[in-house]
Amino acid sequence: MRPAAPMLAGMERITPHAVALSGLRKSYGDRPAVAGIDLLIAPGEVVALLGPNGAGKSTTVDLLLGLTPPDSGDIALFGQDPRRALAAGLVGAMLQEVTLLEDATVGEILTMIASMHRTPMPVDQALRLAGIGDLARRRAARLSGGQTQRVRLAMALVPDPGLLVLDEPTAAMDVTARREFWHAMGEFAATGRTVLFTTHYLEEAEAHADRVVLMREGTIVADGPVGAVMARVGGRTVTALVPGARPAELLALPGVVDARPAGDGHRVALRCSDSDGALRALLARHPGARDVEIRSASLEEAFVLLTGAGRTGEEVAAR
Amino acid sequence: MRGGYLRFEIRRAVRDSRFLVFAVALPVGLFVLLSHLYQSQGATPAYLMGGLAAFGAFKAALDTGARTAVERGAGWQRQLRLTPLSGAGYLVAKGAVAMLVALPPVVGVALVAALTADVRLPFAGWAQAVFGIWLGTAPFALLGLLVGQLCSARNVQTYQGGLLLLLGFVGGLLIPVASFPPVLAGVARVLPSYWLAEIGHGAVSGSGRLGSAPAVLAAYTVALGVAVIARYRRDGARG
Repeated sequence: MRPAAPMLAGMERITPHAVALSGLRKSYGDRPAVAGIDLLIAPGEVVALLGPNGAGKSTTVDLLLGLTPPDSGDIALFGQDPRRALAAGLVGAMLQEVTLLEDATVGEILTMIASMHRTPMPVDQALRLAGIGDLARRRAARLSGGQTQRVRLAMALVPDPGLLVLDEPTAAMDVTARREFWHAMGEFAATGRTVLFTTHYLEEAEAHADRVVLMREGTIVADGPVGAVMARVGGRTVTALVPGARPAELLALPGVVDARPAGDGHRVALRCSDSDGALRALLARHPGARDVEIRSASLEEAFVLLTGAGRTGEEVAAR
Repeated sequence: MRGGYLRFEIRRAVRDSRFLVFAVALPVGLFVLLSHLYQSQGATPAYLMGGLAAFGAFKAALDTGARTAVERGAGWQRQLRLTPLSGAGYLVAKGAVAMLVALPPVVGVALVAALTADVRLPFAGWAQAVFGIWLGTAPFALLGLLVGQLCSARNVQTYQGGLLLLLGFVGGLLIPVASFPPVLAGVARVLPSYWLAEIGHGAVSGSGRLGSAPAVLAAYTVALGVAVIARYRRDGARG
């Protein structure tokens, strides 16, 4: 095991960033997939990369790993070119849409990958960390979907990397498998490694990332600690059933910045800069208001607002 | 560093007994069938042995290379690009495995020719027939890899089958070129499979002559090698 990456602020100046992207651009034909990205990730950070489908997340991951060359811009992983960083075993990655070789056993695949690295993690340890210590002799053809994902995690862990890149690691996993997966991830991140993951599950970002980066149409629209990104949406939301009230009236209430029908179709959701003042005014002017609920802005709201993914039902919940 | 990967690929190839058995059984079966059929037409079993050993060898090599299309389609090559394995290391290992599986069919046809059809050659003749044809299979391993890089997992078998027929029949491995009309015989001489069989034919003619075969096969090897590497380099992005 490598020692935990130094995390002292003063050290960052002399320790290269785990990820440094600058002015990154990539188009496929006329369509810009990544339209100018700058991103610095310090060693030890756990970062979630979020965005609706087509926002450029997977292209960013491909560029970062040197799988596709950028049209312009620079990529450095621990101060090195991606290809060299991968060859040196500094980076492990779990890609989307990779199926395993069906005729090989889990142990064979991992041993093969480990054999190519100079200082690999022992295969047994990688399997244990991925929660599949008992699957080494299993043929890949006989794995369930969740087991396959964890074999792929073990494959990413086996170089014993300082940076782990996961492109939608929990897509197609059931709830139990997801929980176990994040448990394994947490153990790995606790050793001071850097993790960058993309996900469609906002609750995963909220629960497991120190920092979220929101992408939209190939650019970064928000970047910061989860709380800070949620704060950009502002304040709290008051939801209530207000018989006979028109949206314009509600929007005119003090402390209300936005009024729209709530998800259930009956109530209204009032986004507030001052929820206490708004609630007092609401109850004073509309004594019939009932079923009142106050909650903090969620990452989902920040996501919808900042990425313009109006169809959250389709983009987020359905995945 | 690439030793581990090569070992892994060899293990997979050796384990695939169905493929290996079929790779040997097809040319051996054809030899038994055709040696009776062609005897009446003046083609000797020894001559037929050269063609069918070449057929079995290039088919096994071509099929093995072409099967990389499936791994490519499954994203496995993208996964390997995340390892220290270089593109050259990957292609060399795949090529080596294709060559490895090309050997049993050559040996199989030579054995059945010696045991059932009474083919007798001096030691140098056998050496040329077996090892000459085997080494001459290199361009076909590369051709298979190129097909694997260009085709999708779904359509690869169509192209593979087409190439097999072209190289096998038109190359004169299944039907003697002597019976071809002149134009087709001219086409045959452009194909690498014709020259691969010529190595075997030269061995059994007693002269041991190789003629242009090594030069033609070497030229095909270089050209296909360049094409495979260029294609692999360009293929990094998702398909």
